[in-house]
Amino acid sequence: MRIVIADDEMLMREGLARLLGDAGFEVVGRAADAPELLRSVRLTDPDVAIVDIKMPPSHTEEGLVAAQEIRASHPGVGVLVLSHYLESVYAMRLLQEHPERVGYLLKERVSDIAVLADALRRIADGECVLDPTIVARLLNRPREQSPLHELTEREREVLGLMAEGRSNQAIRERLFVSPKTVETHIRQIFQKLGLTGSADSHRRVLAVLAFLRTP
Amino acid sequence: MKPRHVFVLVGGLGLGLGSLAAARAAPAGSLAGASTLAELVLVGAGAALVACGVAAWARRPGSRFGPTLAAAGGAWLAAELNNPQVGSPLLFTIGLVASAAAPALVAHAALAYPDGRLAGAPARAGVVLAYACTLLALGLLPALAFDPGAQGCTECPRNLLAVADAPGFVESASRVGLVLGLIWAPALAALALARVVRASSAARLLTAPVLLAAVVYLALVTATYAHGVGRGFLSNDTVDHRLWLWQGAALIGLALGVASAWARGRRARTRVARLVIELSDAPALGGLRDALARALDDPSLEVAYPLEPGRHVDARGRPVALPDAGGRAVTPLVRGGRPVAVLVHRADLLDDAALLEDVGAAASLALEHERLQAEARAQLDRLRASRARTVEASDAARRRLERDLHDGAQQRLVVLSFALRLLRAHVGGEAAGRVDAAEAELRDALHELRELARGIYPAVLVDEGLATALDALAEVGSAPIKIEPLPDGRFAAGVEAAVYFLVAELVRRADATGVRVRAQRAEDRLLVEVDSGGDLDGDVVDLEDRIGALDGTLVVARAPSGTTTVRAEIPCGS
Repeated sequence: MRIVIADDEMLMREGLARLLGDAGFEVVGRAADAPELLRSVRLTDPDVAIVDIKMPPSHTEEGLVAAQEIRASHPGVGVLVLSHYLESVYAMRLLQEHPERVGYLLKERVSDIAVLADALRRIADGECVLDPTIVARLLNRPREQSPLHELTEREREVLGLMAEGRSNQAIRERLFVSPKTVETHIRQIFQKLGLTGSADSHRRVLAVLAFLRTP
Repeated sequence: MKPRHVFVLVGGLGLGLGSLAAARAAPAGSLAGASTLAELVLVGAGAALVACGVAAWARRPGSRFGPTLAAAGGAWLAAELNNPQVGSPLLFTIGLVASAAAPALVAHAALAYPDGRLAGAPARAGVVLAYACTLLALGLLPALAFDPGAQGCTECPRNLLAVADAPGFVESASRVGLVLGLIWAPALAALALARVVRASSAARLLTAPVLLAAVVYLALVTATYAHGVGRGFLSNDTVDHRLWLWQGAALIGLALGVASAWARGRRARTRVARLVIELSDAPALGGLRDALARALDDPSLEVAYPLEPGRHVDARGRPVALPDAGGRAVTPLVRGGRPVAVLVHRADLLDDAALLEDVGAAASLALEHERLQAEARAQLDRLRASRARTVEASDAARRRLERDLHDGAQQRLVVLSFALRLLRAHVGGEAAGRVDAAEAELRDALHELRELARGIYPAVLVDEGLATALDALAEVGSAPIKIEPLPDGRFAAGVEAAVYFLVAELVRRADATGVRVRAQRAEDRLLVEVDSGGDLDGDVVDLEDRIGALDGTLVVARAPSGTTTVRAEIPCGS
């Protein structure tokens, strides 16, 4: 799999490249800021670009803006945004426009090469990826009254996996259950939460996240 | 009234009576003896000028206006003393010298009105020429060469100054005086007229009656000179007589003009007296300025208080700049050697310096009082600004710290986690377990660091604004947060931070039922209400500080239902 890395911190860039290289990924481009990243994507046409959310000049959300540009101009190139922020608003900004081939992970998460490799493969396969910590936080946020309380433990688990952007197949593999069981869980969840179901797992992510983000 | 004033008054009275007697004794040789009206004009104009002159002198001993005007009155009365029937050689001689002097003295007094100074070289030159003509060419020089006896005037008293008898010289000197009179008299009249036209409105009100009367008088004098120049000397034919009567009327008008200015001054003093009464009740904020504006008859009046050299504030303690020019004058009011206040007023008020002084004196206590209040308010404003700056600086420091933690420490730790991961691939056994433990520790450190940074100053508040930051707070807070729709748009960073940290702190203190946040914009203020179920744990002083630094208010109310509502009102611009 061909990867482009954009991070203004040289140590970070090189460390990531080395990890990916060791794990069998091909790092085809490295960039220190958004313009370099866009140029590199144009030249190398990678499978996925890994983008730090903070880049020069303002070190705020340049990565998000660049990610949206790549998604708009190169629909075949996936984007994984690495961030220090747990706030779901940044992830939502990324997913809202094109909830496919994108991912939002906490930066430190990627030192676990298994997690990183999984995320990159899912993005390359067209799924979306949302950091489990953010999902857990949304699931566990303080709520006064909510239909969430009516979900069973298993249904909560399935809801969390849906929110992470996983497909039915991935959920089934995770939980070691049959396709039919997963579908039943999902139907139950949608019914209890009052959501209109959607087979499309991309759109489903948005519906689930929107629900979870309201108190 | 001092002895010298009495002396001049009695002297004037004597001159008047002597002149009248002389005129009556020989009506043919006089200007005033012809009719009762003429007698009245002679005595009326002379007495009016002397009386006004003495009064002006007594009011302003330093000004030459009063004595000059009194002298003009004397000269007017002396016009009859060169009458052959005057009886006394001394008076006769005085009459010969002084009978033509009145126009020069009147012109001098009028142009020097009211402060007694002759401003400008043209005025000074004109007045000098006028004195030269009237006292020398038409007075002393002819007197020296005039022997009444030799000229066949058997009734005339002796001319004490006569040194020769030269009728030709007398006529020449007189003619020169008359011809030059045709120059200076209209010139000084024009100068007086120009002064009326150019004066400021307040000054014009004061000086115009006097100056215009002088213009009329000098025009009549010019006509008299023009009439006499063909003949070569001043006399008392019918035309002269008529012109003289009108001159007298103009002089009476001039005296009335001087008196009317005093009447206006008395009205102004009445206003000052009313001011004193008005100020005996402590006036409301701004009331003092209004009272002063009324007393000085200047609606545009401003009062400023000196705080320190070069810095002035208004009654509310707000800084004001004093004007450099532009028709505004600045008068400091001094009390006990220290400037108490500064009046910014119409420049022409300075023409009535006495009134300005009286008003300042009448209001000095009230001004001192208001100055102290203004000083206190200015100090309060400064303190508030300083508090706002302190909070701003602390916010800026928090933002910097948050950024440094993200870009510095956190970044380093992430790189470190990579290093550990790479190391982990190359070790086995017990060492692998230790690396795993170190990685777990590092993950916890990163998590804590992230929470710390977010608590210091959430990046989302800077990037996305208050509403999003409160949403994000609701995701991580310890208690539920119900946020009703917030006003659209961004607010100043200080305002957003104040509301965010207020809500964050109240969430931290809230019980499990959480808080409910309402916010709305009311014109230029942002109203925020936070309801929470239980009692607020601890006091709210630190929250008040932050809101107060923005000039806002914070009120805590406890409803009977047990709900505690914190209500903050913050100016947020418009």
